[in-house]
Amino acid sequence: MRELELYFGPQHLGMVGNFSITLKVEGDRIVKADANPGYLHRGFEKLMELRSWIKNFPMVCRMNVVEPDSMEMIYSMGVEKLAGIQVPERAQFIRSIYLELARVGSHLFGLWAYANMLGFDTVAQWAMYHRDLVLDLFEELTGGRVYHIYIWPGGVRRDFPDGFEDRIVSTLHSIGGCVPDYDNAFFNNRLFRERAKGVGTVTREDAVAMGGTGQVIRATGMEYDIRKVDPYAAYDRVPWDVHTRTEGDAYSRIWVVRDEMIESVHMIFKLLDAMPKGDVYNRIPNPFKWRIPEGDAYVRCESSRGELGLYIVSDGGDKPHRAHFRTPSYPHGLTVLEQALVGESIADVGNIMISLYVVAPEIDR
Amino acid sequence: MNGALTDRLKAIFRDIETDDVRDGRLTVLAPAASVLSVLRLLRSDGYGYLQLISCVDWIDDGQLEVVYVLSRYLDGEGGIGGGPIRVVLKTRVPRTNASLPTAIEIYPIAEPYEREVHELFGVRFEGHPRLTPLFLEREYEIPPFRKDFDTRQYVEDVFGSVPAVGEESQDS
Repeated sequence: MRELELYFGPQHLGMVGNFSITLKVEGDRIVKADANPGYLHRGFEKLMELRSWIKNFPMVCRMNVVEPDSMEMIYSMGVEKLAGIQVPERAQFIRSIYLELARVGSHLFGLWAYANMLGFDTVAQWAMYHRDLVLDLFEELTGGRVYHIYIWPGGVRRDFPDGFEDRIVSTLHSIGGCVPDYDNAFFNNRLFRERAKGVGTVTREDAVAMGGTGQVIRATGMEYDIRKVDPYAAYDRVPWDVHTRTEGDAYSRIWVVRDEMIESVHMIFKLLDAMPKGDVYNRIPNPFKWRIPEGDAYVRCESSRGELGLYIVSDGGDKPHRAHFRTPSYPHGLTVLEQALVGESIADVGNIMISLYVVAPEIDR
Repeated sequence: MNGALTDRLKAIFRDIETDDVRDGRLTVLAPAASVLSVLRLLRSDGYGYLQLISCVDWIDDGQLEVVYVLSRYLDGEGGIGGGPIRVVLKTRVPRTNASLPTAIEIYPIAEPYEREVHELFGVRFEGHPRLTPLFLEREYEIPPFRKDFDTRQYVEDVFGSVPAVGEESQDS
């Protein structure tokens, strides 16, 4: 059969975000895929070299629109490591709770994108509505709905307001109460199973060779989660489980997302119970005159998409000499995606891409 | 166990420098010619996970520093706890005609990272099958992430002449 070249995205109904894939197809089978992420280049890492340590926060957040909170976290961790700043215990708990809320919000957003793409419009609207409830919590806590800049080197910006714990619990209960509805309408739905089962399979060998993390690797049965492997914030203070599946296809990746969301909610309850009293931040030097000792550091955390890393270098000045973010979508959207698409049909491109949880702004920082 | 890796590296490669293991991290400085063999040894030692290839421009020294961050996945291949959690391998190349051999055969994930470093810093990776642009759309005289590339001047030159909104709309 004749081989054709097909441009999939950035203007395409099946494409989410500023991303395109050049496909070589035979009939409707994909022979070769060539990912092209360069539609959103803002050069944040370069711009960060021109701004002082503290002024970089607004930019750091904007690297991942869906979940800016782990970006704040990783940048704070990097700065803390370079400058040798300690974080009070209560702030560690607040950070974990806040990051888990962000994870729930981000997974709901991911579920919206995925369900929408498969044609489950009702489920998608539910997910969007429930994400909005989480955003309401963020708005109360930080003043911003999407970009919060709440985590700060040395702790968090402010303590929880009065009664905020109760509002977290009641919001999460009202979302959690809908899990049976989600299961009936979507996760146990035959249409979802038949569209996603066996599609976009990534074997464990491939995932490991190509730097897969997060759901991509947990869907192949490997219990790899930075929160367990290299604990940060308060993740080692309460017991919780890493959820895995073994098939490695789109179906199991989305199921891992579902299980993880529920685990996050349970984890928040446990963290709220165990949270100590005390300060929420340690004083840092005057941020406008802040010089950080020379050195380099690599820090990592588990964002809702997988391993998020930051390689940060200071030359002893008041600005970073170099900051390089290792975002989870980078390997997932380039190497893993290009390999997973081979042999699949054109109709499944969006399915595979969203199930790999690729967010284009993360790739092209 | 921590000492073992450092000792072995030192015994095999006379031209490398290592730091003490701190916070589970081992820093190795290697000359460009030994990078691939050090990577191969680390790969066979269980460091199967290349987390990042980054590049830092040390313009005052006239050098670019390419940084490989390696770690292990937890199962198989030695597991966690044996040896340092992370190895940071650094190598320096001159800023003019910077080039290094590609690491794709050892770590397939190196492919996009090397493309990125090539595009943004101008380091050629010999043997890389696809050193095409990844992010950028224009040609640059100086690779844009180098320190001597002036972002503000570039913005002024490229976008400074765009007419303000409403100024040229009379003829429509």
